[in-house]
Amino acid sequence: MDRALNKLILPLQQGPDLSLGQFLKTVEECCPQTAYAVKLKLHEMANGELKDMEYFFYDLPNPYIAFDSEAYKTSVVGLFMRHMFLAYDKLSFSQVYKLYKSLQQYYHSHYAKPSDGQVGLPALVADDSDMDLTNPEDAVGDRIDKEELDTPLHESELRNDNAPSRGPLSQKQAEYFLARQAYLLKNDENKALKPAALQEELNNMLKFNPDFAEAHYLNYLNSMRVQDIFLSAHSLLHYFDRLILSGNEGKSNGDEGYGRSLRYAALNLASLHCRFGHYQQADLALQEAIRIAQESNDHVCLQHCLSWLYTLEQTRGSDSTVLTEDSVKMAAHFCLPYLASLGIQSLVQQGATQGKTAHKLMDALKDTDILHWKHSLSELIEISLAQTTSIWRMYGKSTMALQQAQLLLNMSSLEPVNFGVQQNNTEAFAVALCHLAELHAEQGLYGAVSEILQHLKEQFPPHSQHAKLWMLCDLKIQFERHMNEGKYHLAEPLVTAISALNKTEGLYRKAQVLKALNRSTEAYSILQRLQVHCEKTKCTEVVIRVMLSTAELHWESSGFSTALPLLLQALALARQHHLQSLASETILHLAFTQLMLGVPEQALCVLHEACIEPVLAHGAVMDKGRALLLTARCQMAVAGFRPNGQGQADLRLAVLAVDTLKEAAAYFFRLNCKERLRDVHYLQAQLHRSLGQTSQCNKSAMLFRLLDQELQSPAPPVSMRL
Amino acid sequence: MIILFWDQAGNGSDVTPGGRNYLVLTTNKIHFGDLVQIKKQLISVISLCKERGLLHSAKASELAFALDPLPKDELPPSPPFTEEDAQDLDALTLAKSYFDLKEYDRAAYFLKGCCSQKAYFLYMYSRYLSGEKKKDDETVDSLGPLEKGQVRNEALRELRVELSKKHIAGELDGFTLYLYGVVLRKLDLLKEAVEVFVEAIHALPLHWGAWLELSNLVTNIEMLKSLSLPDCWIKDFFMAHMYTELQMIKEALQKYQSLIEAGFSKSTYIISQIAVAYHNIRDIDQALALFNQLREQDPYRIDNMDTFSNLLYVKGMKPNLSYLAHNLVEIDKYRVETCCVIGNYYSLRSQHEKAALYFQRALKLNPRCLGAWTLMGHEYMEMKNTSAAIQAYRHAIEVNKRDYRAWYGLGQTYEILKMPFYCLYYYRKAHQLRPNDSRMLVALGESYEKLSQQVEAKKCYWRAYSVGDVEKMALLKLAKLHEQLNESDDAAQCYMLYIQDIFSCGEQLEHAEVSTALRYLGQYYFKNKLYDEASLCAQRCCDYNDAREEGKALLRQISQVRDQIETPSADLFAPLSNNTPVRRVSPLNLISFTP
Repeated sequence: MDRALNKLILPLQQGPDLSLGQFLKTVEECCPQTAYAVKLKLHEMANGELKDMEYFFYDLPNPYIAFDSEAYKTSVVGLFMRHMFLAYDKLSFSQVYKLYKSLQQYYHSHYAKPSDGQVGLPALVADDSDMDLTNPEDAVGDRIDKEELDTPLHESELRNDNAPSRGPLSQKQAEYFLARQAYLLKNDENKALKPAALQEELNNMLKFNPDFAEAHYLNYLNSMRVQDIFLSAHSLLHYFDRLILSGNEGKSNGDEGYGRSLRYAALNLASLHCRFGHYQQADLALQEAIRIAQESNDHVCLQHCLSWLYTLEQTRGSDSTVLTEDSVKMAAHFCLPYLASLGIQSLVQQGATQGKTAHKLMDALKDTDILHWKHSLSELIEISLAQTTSIWRMYGKSTMALQQAQLLLNMSSLEPVNFGVQQNNTEAFAVALCHLAELHAEQGLYGAVSEILQHLKEQFPPHSQHAKLWMLCDLKIQFERHMNEGKYHLAEPLVTAISALNKTEGLYRKAQVLKALNRSTEAYSILQRLQVHCEKTKCTEVVIRVMLSTAELHWESSGFSTALPLLLQALALARQHHLQSLASETILHLAFTQLMLGVPEQALCVLHEACIEPVLAHGAVMDKGRALLLTARCQMAVAGFRPNGQGQADLRLAVLAVDTLKEAAAYFFRLNCKERLRDVHYLQAQLHRSLGQTSQCNKSAMLFRLLDQELQSPAPPVSMRL
Repeated sequence: MIILFWDQAGNGSDVTPGGRNYLVLTTNKIHFGDLVQIKKQLISVISLCKERGLLHSAKASELAFALDPLPKDELPPSPPFTEEDAQDLDALTLAKSYFDLKEYDRAAYFLKGCCSQKAYFLYMYSRYLSGEKKKDDETVDSLGPLEKGQVRNEALRELRVELSKKHIAGELDGFTLYLYGVVLRKLDLLKEAVEVFVEAIHALPLHWGAWLELSNLVTNIEMLKSLSLPDCWIKDFFMAHMYTELQMIKEALQKYQSLIEAGFSKSTYIISQIAVAYHNIRDIDQALALFNQLREQDPYRIDNMDTFSNLLYVKGMKPNLSYLAHNLVEIDKYRVETCCVIGNYYSLRSQHEKAALYFQRALKLNPRCLGAWTLMGHEYMEMKNTSAAIQAYRHAIEVNKRDYRAWYGLGQTYEILKMPFYCLYYYRKAHQLRPNDSRMLVALGESYEKLSQQVEAKKCYWRAYSVGDVEKMALLKLAKLHEQLNESDDAAQCYMLYIQDIFSCGEQLEHAEVSTALRYLGQYYFKNKLYDEASLCAQRCCDYNDAREEGKALLRQISQVRDQIETPSADLFAPLSNNTPVRRVSPLNLISFTP
C-alpha cells in the first residue's frame, strides 16, 4: 500500500457512501492494481455464493495479526477492520444473508445500468446505491410515467416502477444528501433540486424513516422557497418535536439539551412568521422565546432573540437604535462575533439613513470587516461589501460604489466546502447586482443593464426570496428611461407595478408622471402626502426628491420665489446627510431659479462653484446634460442675449456657450432625450446666428426643425424647464 | 324505512337519547323485505369465503347468526361444481390444508398451474400472505436504523403484474379483484386501489372485506358520494360504517337504527357500532348501556372493549373497569384491546408507569394501534415526562393525521411547558379536525388569554359556549375576561347564562363556581340600583360557604340603601331605575335554581 491509498482511506471511511462506479474510479486513480483486486474480489463474491463472502471474512484476519502489516490493529485500516468484524459477528444468521443480498445488489446495480433491457438480471435490482443527484429530472420523469401507465404489462415496467422510489438510502447517504441540499438552498438555489422534486425525495426519505428529524427541517426550508406557510410551519414544528426527543439524550454543551431546543423552537417560529410578514405573530413567538430563555438563563439564546427583536422593530418602522446598541454590546460580551457584527451592520444602516457622518460609518464597517476576516464569516463580508456599495451610492459617489460592487462580485467564496458553487445567491449579491444595473443605466449603457438583469433573473427566479429587489430595480430603470425619452404613456403603467413592490417609491413616481402630463394639482396633492409620510418614516432621500419635485411644480406656475425656500431647505437636508448627488441636483434647481429670477451671474457662479464638478464626476448622464445646458443658458444670459436677438452680446462668452451646448447635446443624444435636444439645437441656432456663422446656424435650425416635427407636441417655452 | 332522529331543541349537535321522539318516514328505500333471502345470501357467501381461506368473514357469520335460522329445505344449495373445479380438487384440498397450517409457500407451490378460479385465488392469496409474513419476520432483524421502515413485501410487485394482466383480460372474479385491490393499496397506489375495490364490490357485493378495505381509502364525504356502488342491502351497512368513520355520527346512528328496525336487532355488530358512535359524540351513558348489553349477549368478545374501557375511565367507574380488565385477561391477555383496557385500569388507579408499560405492550403487538399511542402520551403527561409524551403523540399523528386527541395532547404538553404561543398551532389543528368540540376552543381561548389577545380569547369562549360546552367552563372564563376588561354588562350577562347553564344541566359539577357568579351579579345589580335582584343574589350567596360572608355584607348594604331611599319617596325610585343607562339585564328567575 502506498501513501496515496492510505490518504484515501479516511475520506472513504468518513464520507458518504459511493456507488460502485465512483468507488472503483477513486481507487483506480491512486492505485490501479488495488482497484483490480477489489473488482476481482467483489466479482467473486457477488457472482458466487454466500460462502464466498463468509470466506472473505474468515480469510481477512491473517494480515491483521502480522505486526509489520499496514492493517495492524492500531492503524486506521486495522481499526476499521476491527469495527467491521465486530459488526459482522453480531449479525444473526438471516442478517448475514441479507448483507450478502445487498452486496450482490450493490454490485449488480453498477453493471446493470449501462445495458438497459438486460433480461438476465432479476427485476428486483434497485439502484439504491446511487443517489443519482446529477439528473433528478429523469427520476421525476420516470415517476410521472409510472402514474400514467397504471396498467403495466411487462417485466421492464417493474424496474421502472422500482427505480424512482429508489428505496432505502443509507444513513450516511441521507445525511450527505440533506447537507448538500441545505447548503445549495442557502447559497445557490438554482443548483438545488426543484422544490417539487426535493419534496418528493424528502417524502420518500421520511416514509422510510419518520424519525429522521433533519429531513423535516429541510422540508421546512424547501416550503419556505415556495412561500407555503402551512407546510413550512408544519415541518418546522415537526422538526422540533423530533429534536426534543433526541436532544433529551444529552447535548453536552452545558445546559440541558431539551429545554434548549424548546427555546430555539419558539425563536425559529418567530423567524418564520417574520419572513411571512406576520409581525404580530412573530412578536408573540419572540416574547415567548425570550421568556423561556430568561427563565433558564440562556444568554446566547437571549442574544439571538434580541437581534431578532431589533430586526422586528426595524421592519415595523420604529426606531431600534438603542436595542441594537445593547445587542452589540452584549454579543461582544458573550463572544458571539456573528451577532455582534450583524448588529453593527444594522446600526450602520440606521446611521446612514439618520445622517451620521461618513467616516464614522466607514470606520465601523472597517472594524467589523477585521472581525469577519478573523472568523472568516464569509456571509457577513458579503453583506458588508454590499452595504458599502449602497452607502457610496447614497452619497452619490458612483465610482466608489461601482468599485465596491465589482469587488464583491469578483470575490471567490470562502466557504470551506463548496459544492462547485461559484456565485452565491445571497441577498448581498442581489443588492450589489441591482446597484450595478442602476449605475449602468445612469450612464445610458442599456445593453449592459439588460445583461445584468438577465443574470439576476436567472440567479434569483421570480418566486425566490430576493427576487423583489431586482424586480423593483428593473421597473425603476425602465421608468427612468421612458421619462427621459419623453414616452410618458409608457411610464404610466409601470407606476402600478412599482407601487405593488414599494408603496413610497410608487407614489413618488406617480407624482412625476402626473407632473410630466401637466396634471399639476393631482401631482401636488400626492407630493404633499408623500412628504408628510416620509418625514415620519425618516426617508430623507425621498423627502429631498419630493421637495425638488414640488419646487418644479412651483416653476410651472412661475412661482420662482416660492420655490426658493423649499430648495434651500432641501439643500440643507442634503448637506446634513452628505447626500452629494442630491445636493448637486438641488443646486442645479437653485441656479435655474436664480436664472429665472434674473440673476444669471449669480447662477453661473453657483454652478461653477458647487455643482458642475461633482456632477460631471459622479452624476448620471442626464444630470450632466442638464447641468451643461443650464450653464450654457446662464452664459448666454450673462453675455446679454435676448430671445428676440436684439442687444449687444459678449462674443467671448458666446463662444464658450457654444462649446458647452455641444457637450450637452452629446449627452442628451446618448440618452435619446429628444425634447432637450430640441432645446439645445434651438439655442445653438441662436448663438451661431449672432456669431454670424450662417452655415452652422442653418444646420442647427434644420436639426431643430426635424426634431420639432418628430415630436409633434408644441415646444414648451424653452425657459420653463431645467 | 328511514327513521330520522329529530332533535326537538333544534340544537343539532346532539341526538336526544331515549328514542322517544323519532319521526318515522315511510319511504321504503332499504330492501329488507325478504330477510330469508338475505340469510340465504349470507350463508352462501360465508361458505365461499371459507373455501378461500378468508378468515375475516366473521362479520357475515355474525349477521347470519342474528337472523332467524332457516328450515332445512330452505338452505341454499352449494355452488355448482365445474369441470375445472373437479380437476383441481385434490390439489386444492391439499393446498388448503397447508394454507390453514400457515405454510403459505408450500400451499402456493402445489397450487401452481391450477386453472379454476378458486384455486387461482388461493394461489395468489397464499403468495401474498407469505410475503406479508416474511416482511413481519424481517422487521425484527434489519441491518441499520434507517432501514427500519424499509422492509417491504417483495411479493407485492410480482403479484401486481400478474393480477393486472388478468385484470385487463377481464379474468378476475370478485375475490381476486379484492386481492388485487389489497395489493395495490399496499403498494400505495391508492387511486387505482379504489377503482379496483369498487369493481370487486360490483362483482361480489356480499363480500364485506372489500367494503371494509374501501372504507379505509375513503377520506371525505365528497369522495364517498362520488363512488358508484351497487344498490344492495349491504350498502347500508357500509354507509353507516363510513358515517362513523367520517365523524358524521348523526347520520350513522340514523342508518344503524333503521337497520335494527329492519330486522337485525340481534346483531352484536350493530350494537357495538352504535355504542362506538355514541362514544364518539361523548354520549357516555347511552354508550355504556349499549356496551353492557353487548357484553351480556357476547361475553367473550374482545373487539371494541378498549372503547368500553375508555368510557368507564371517563366515568371513573373503578370496579367495573377492574372487572372488565380481569375478565379480558382471562380470555386472552395478548390482545391489543386487553392491554389497552389494563392500561386504562392502571391509569385510573394513578399507577401511570404501569399503565404506560401496558400501552407499550399493546404497541408491540400492533405498532399501528392509534389509540394506544395517544393514551401512552396521556400517561407520560401524567408522569410529567413531556418529551416522551411529545414522542408518543407524534407517533399517533404519524399513524393517523386526523387524530385530534394527539394534536390536543401536543398542545397541552406545550402549554405545560409554558409556551402558549407555540401550543396555539396544535390546538388550532385539533380544532380544525373537530370544529364543534368545545374543549379545543376553551384551550385555544386560554392560550389567547395568556398571550393577552383578549379579543380572540373572547371569540373562542363564546364559540365554545355556542357549540355546546362540555365542561361548562367557557362561560365562566368569558365572564371573568369581561370582568377584567371592565365590561360589566357583558360580564353580568355571561354569569347569568353560566348560572342558568349550570342549573339546567341538573347534576352538580365539582368545579362549578356558582358562588363567584352570584357574588358578581349581586354587586352588579347593587351598583345599578336594582336592589330586588341584588338581594336575591345575595341571599343565594349565603348558600355557599365561600361567599356567605360577602352575601350577608351585601344584604346589609342593600337594606341600608333602601332605608335611605324609602325616606324621600318611593315614586322617585321607579323612573330612576328605568333610566339607568345600563342595558338592563333580564332578572333571574331564581326560584327554579334551588340546587
